[in-house]
Amino acid sequence: MTSAAAMRMEWTKLRTVPSTAWSIVGLIGLTVATGSLLMWSLGTTHCASHCDQDMPQLSLSGVYLAQLAVVVLAALAITSEYDTMMIRTTLAARPRRLTVLGAKAAIVTATVLVTGGIAVLATFVVARGIPVDGYLPLSLDDGATRRAYFGTVAYLGLIALFSVGVGTLVRHTAGAITTMMALLYVAPIIAQLVSDERWRHRIERYAPMSSGLTIQATTHLDRLPIGPWHGLGVLAAYAAAALLLGAIAFLVRDA
Amino acid sequence: MSQPTGRTGVEQTDRTGADQTFRDGQPSYRTTVRNARDGFGHLLGAEWTKLRSVRSSVWCLLATVLLTVLITPLISASSSTNANEAPHFTDQFTFVHQPMAGDGTVVARVSSQLNSQEWARAGLMIKQNTTAGSPYAAIMVTPRHGVRLQANFNTDIPGPDLGAPRWLRLTRSGAVITGSESTDGTTWHPVGTVRVGALAPTAEIGMFVASPPVLRVTKTSGGSSTSLVLSLGAATFDRVTIQPNAPQQLPGWSELMLNGGAGTKGAPPANVPSDGDGPFTAGDGPFTVHGAGDVAGYGIPSFPLGDDDIVVNSLSGVQLGLLAVIALGVLFAAGEYKTGMIRTTFAATPRRRRVLGAKAIVVGVAVFVAGLVASLIAFYVAQPVLRRHGYQPPAYPHPTLADGTVLRAVIGTALFLAVLAVFSLSVGVILKRSARAIALVVGLVLVPQIVASLVPSLGVANWINRLTPTAGLAIQHTRPRFDYAIAPWGGFAVLCGYAGVALVVAIWLVRRRDA
Repeated sequence: MTSAAAMRMEWTKLRTVPSTAWSIVGLIGLTVATGSLLMWSLGTTHCASHCDQDMPQLSLSGVYLAQLAVVVLAALAITSEYDTMMIRTTLAARPRRLTVLGAKAAIVTATVLVTGGIAVLATFVVARGIPVDGYLPLSLDDGATRRAYFGTVAYLGLIALFSVGVGTLVRHTAGAITTMMALLYVAPIIAQLVSDERWRHRIERYAPMSSGLTIQATTHLDRLPIGPWHGLGVLAAYAAAALLLGAIAFLVRDA
Repeated sequence: MSQPTGRTGVEQTDRTGADQTFRDGQPSYRTTVRNARDGFGHLLGAEWTKLRSVRSSVWCLLATVLLTVLITPLISASSSTNANEAPHFTDQFTFVHQPMAGDGTVVARVSSQLNSQEWARAGLMIKQNTTAGSPYAAIMVTPRHGVRLQANFNTDIPGPDLGAPRWLRLTRSGAVITGSESTDGTTWHPVGTVRVGALAPTAEIGMFVASPPVLRVTKTSGGSSTSLVLSLGAATFDRVTIQPNAPQQLPGWSELMLNGGAGTKGAPPANVPSDGDGPFTAGDGPFTVHGAGDVAGYGIPSFPLGDDDIVVNSLSGVQLGLLAVIALGVLFAAGEYKTGMIRTTFAATPRRRRVLGAKAIVVGVAVFVAGLVASLIAFYVAQPVLRRHGYQPPAYPHPTLADGTVLRAVIGTALFLAVLAVFSLSVGVILKRSARAIALVVGLVLVPQIVASLVPSLGVANWINRLTPTAGLAIQHTRPRFDYAIAPWGGFAVLCGYAGVALVVAIWLVRRRDA
């Protein structure tokens, strides 16, 4: 009953369902394609007077779409077991529930970190090859750019943990995914519609996606609603809370 | 079950089934015994039963209403405006004037006008005095909006849709001012009559030129900002005559640039080249006058109302509610695939196309009703909150359902949700799995809005908002705005296109594919 065995079990379950492969392809494809398309669409005409747009951030904006794949992958890792009642077999084989949940979270997050790392690096390589008039090519020598790229990988890992937590709490695939979508996407859209600056600031400061993605900012850091690392910290707090609640529910509820 | 109708010829039926039907004398061997559950009405009933008896779909319908309604006051309360604190008029123009005692008439021909802005103005004005904000009446030509008679920052009477060159005439008779226009200076057509009650016995009368600033939009990551850029108008007047009713000595023209009221809402100060007094001494012209700014207030079309679309603000709770609609639509299809119920459904009704049609109608109608309840409640819940936060007339007239565009927005929100439900249902059928279907629809409806706001190019952002199903939300728009990418019904048509294509693909797939 070692945790290594539990991890091996989770890894087998994860790699043998087709949705995992789809999610990985989706994560890499959407990150690279969206970011490069947006960079390419700018062409050479957009900045007539002042060129101070955040190019690393723009090249990474595929993450807004690609995190959908992370949510699906991570939520399904737990909810699909409830859909098929596989969870009873799992718990019969490994009755120590915290070990099961921990192994699941670790395997899913590791998979997302590796895949996300590939996606982000591929984005960097492709985006560096797209010239945008008035800007230097992207370079990882710049500390802020490095933080944006590596931080995005960490962001995806936290989204995976967050989704595992919500999935464990909700136990229903459609419910868990819809809940995650609401938590991630609704606040930023509402923030755009709100005309009061202070409220917009507050929403962007405390909503999981807006705060977490401040890690991508490389220019105008003084105008951010929250510092890059603090923002990632807010997302980490959400993920930790969801995992904690999920673990408690997992321990006390019947499977 | 309907009676077999519409057939000609004799039908012979017995209890054993396969029987001859004689049609135009030719026997055909189609059974006339109807399948137990073949009528479309029964099919609708069956699908409705499935919808209302599954806990998750009832929850989804309830959640659509609750989420939309509950978030509405929060959105409204976090918006505010101070549009009404600024002066309610702007009085900024170049006036070439002289005093006229008592009643009389001024006539001039605007021989040319520069098209500096669609609402640029050139014409004749009578004004209480040269203080900004004092009462006035004016007849003018505009490059794009024809001849207008305007008065007192609140009255606008449109005349014929004709521009310069044009003869204009302004007649004072006590407090009543009449404006007329003419092509040749002999045949005059009255444009209208206005009362300027507070007009002093001796008022300033003369030529004026104004040109409102132009809106420029700058798009950056995370939003767009607008700025006003000065536009400089110019017009040439000739054949200028003043005919006072009472004999009097006219002092001659003097030029003045007024700059009062709300300014022109943030435009840079006008740097108008002064024409000096010199040119204005030459009898009846020609005079060339330059001017910038606007003479307008609420009620005059060139004066902008507040920037925010408060109807969109009232109805944007639907951004949260639509998640429940997506889940409902997807689950209504994918749920049957997950449990294998779909095989029972197709065994009961082998005509799969009709099954899908019935599903689409049931989920569409159910969501439309729930959506209409949600959008009506949200609309009425938001209004008092918005009023408390400064959204008041005159900058923000109270929206009512009697207004066609507001009604379109409220009903359109329910239509948007209904079509979105059909789209989700079709994607659910195509993909069979709820997880990826929900992710795909959310990726097409919610995420493009966020990505569009990030792109530092207005053109790219507009194309994202036009080409994705997000465009359907344009049906909520009630007024023009610089960042609206597509017309209300046009946007709705884009969403319908997505739903239609998905439905056709779904129908094609269910007929081809094993259940």
